[in-house]
Amino acid sequence: MADAPVTTRRHLRHELLRWALLGVAVVVLVVFLLAQRQSVDVSYGRSPAATARIDEGSAGELSDASVPSVAEMTALVAADPVVRLPGSTARWNEQRVREAAGDRPVRILVAPPGLDKAERDRVRKVENATIRVIGTEVSGGIYQAVADTLPGWRAQFATADVTNLLVALLAGLRDAPDPPEHDELRWRTPTDRELAAVAADLRATGLHLAAGATLTDVPGDAARNAFGDGARYVAFPAQPFGEPVPRYGPALAELFPGTPIVVMYGLWIEYHGPAADDFAELAGASFYAQFGARLSRYDYPQGTVLAAWLNRVTDLRYSGLFDRPLPYRPIDPLRVALPALPWVFAGCVATFLILSVRSLRRPDGVGVRRGDPGRGGTPARLAGLTALAVEMSLLTDARSDPALTRGIVKLQAARAALDEELPGPHVRTLLDEAADELDDAARTLGVASYRPDLYLRGRLS
Amino acid sequence: MSHPLLVWLVGGVLLVGAGFVTALLPRWRAREREHRTAWSAARAAIDSATVSRDAAVTRVPAAERLLVRAESIAAGRGGTAAARAAAKHAREADRLWRTHQ
Repeated sequence: MADAPVTTRRHLRHELLRWALLGVAVVVLVVFLLAQRQSVDVSYGRSPAATARIDEGSAGELSDASVPSVAEMTALVAADPVVRLPGSTARWNEQRVREAAGDRPVRILVAPPGLDKAERDRVRKVENATIRVIGTEVSGGIYQAVADTLPGWRAQFATADVTNLLVALLAGLRDAPDPPEHDELRWRTPTDRELAAVAADLRATGLHLAAGATLTDVPGDAARNAFGDGARYVAFPAQPFGEPVPRYGPALAELFPGTPIVVMYGLWIEYHGPAADDFAELAGASFYAQFGARLSRYDYPQGTVLAAWLNRVTDLRYSGLFDRPLPYRPIDPLRVALPALPWVFAGCVATFLILSVRSLRRPDGVGVRRGDPGRGGTPARLAGLTALAVEMSLLTDARSDPALTRGIVKLQAARAALDEELPGPHVRTLLDEAADELDDAARTLGVASYRPDLYLRGRLS
Repeated sequence: MSHPLLVWLVGGVLLVGAGFVTALLPRWRAREREHRTAWSAARAAIDSATVSRDAAVTRVPAAERLLVRAESIAAGRGGTAAARAAAKHAREADRLWRTHQ
């Protein structure tokens, strides 16, 4: 009797453990499945830069400018060797272009930037134009000229200068070798007044917007990611071609030592300040090499371009190209635990299986308990009643005979049930019935000591 | 177990299988036990009724009919419900014969 509660408690504990293990296994499985997302993004330091993705028209790169019909443009080009459609921005050094053209007739059609695809197709269908310039994208015949150096991009995006591109394209059309590039952009030192005006703005708000600049605000997230300690931004509109460009970058870097300074001329972005030697050229070259084609053809607002450039700077910072420390990233527990998960799962399953088998092998508790000392046990009672029946059969008479026989029949049934390991209550019921019959027979016989209660008490004590 | 994926698959199948077995096996066992118990009780009741019939001084047709019905049910070896019905008829017959002893 004493170890029954202990067994029950242990059984309960095993059951609890079993279900807990099942829960753990399911959780592990779910975690594993959720961790199966595949990603094509590869980044050394998990750069938070937004993905550079630019769809036509979504970033305000289409302008209001349009072009006339193909027939009208063809007539214009036939009338004039250089046709500038309204809104066009591209400029060039006419002297150099004339020299490059030599004695060949060259007709140039200049269209504004920011045309949509249909309008660009119309421009390309003007067949009598030797060279088409859309925005600052220069193409002719089967060729297209693109800049591939920083001065080249600077001239193209800061002053809309396409001289080098036109010269290169003309050489290409003639199958001549590429002429040497010649940087048309000339710098000048800004006057003290100009510089003072910009510096005052930078001190006050960290942002100077010159008249005509399309930048309205610094893109917050991109700026924080690129320059965590803050930077100062100066935006100018595209500079007029042929005039010296005031060079604010170095002057401002001197005025604000230790501060990153970003200067925009049109769509051209310059960086001055700390670690400029490390990445400014790389950022500029990779940015304009990737986006130069789009920037030349479209009319992007400066804010969009600045955000894309800042994302590129962020990517470079996180690329691990420079041994600069990255911001602290806490260890991802999932990544650490992932290789161990299958084995945790396997362990849970194995233990669950073992406990399940144990719980199946364990009798359900309704079976007969052999040798239960407190109540004499069912087999002992069966043996006692059988002995009583044998003793009574010696003295039986016609009146007590049926009851005794019924008692023996019940005893036989009880023994068969016991042998078949049928539930204890059933065996006990059969024994009770047998005891009732024997009691009946004993009373009929008139022998009190044969009454089962008394008889069994005498035997078992 | 060279591939971890195999661990997940085999483990998942084993878990589901173990769940079904541990849920169904005890239930099946209990039903089986109940079935045998019911028949054990029915047989005991029929035997007891047979003894009472042999000891009875007069014939009791109603009891005989009940016992015949119980025995025919038992001969058909039905399920638990059939066993209970047989036991009920046999007990009724037993009671009738005892009153005529």
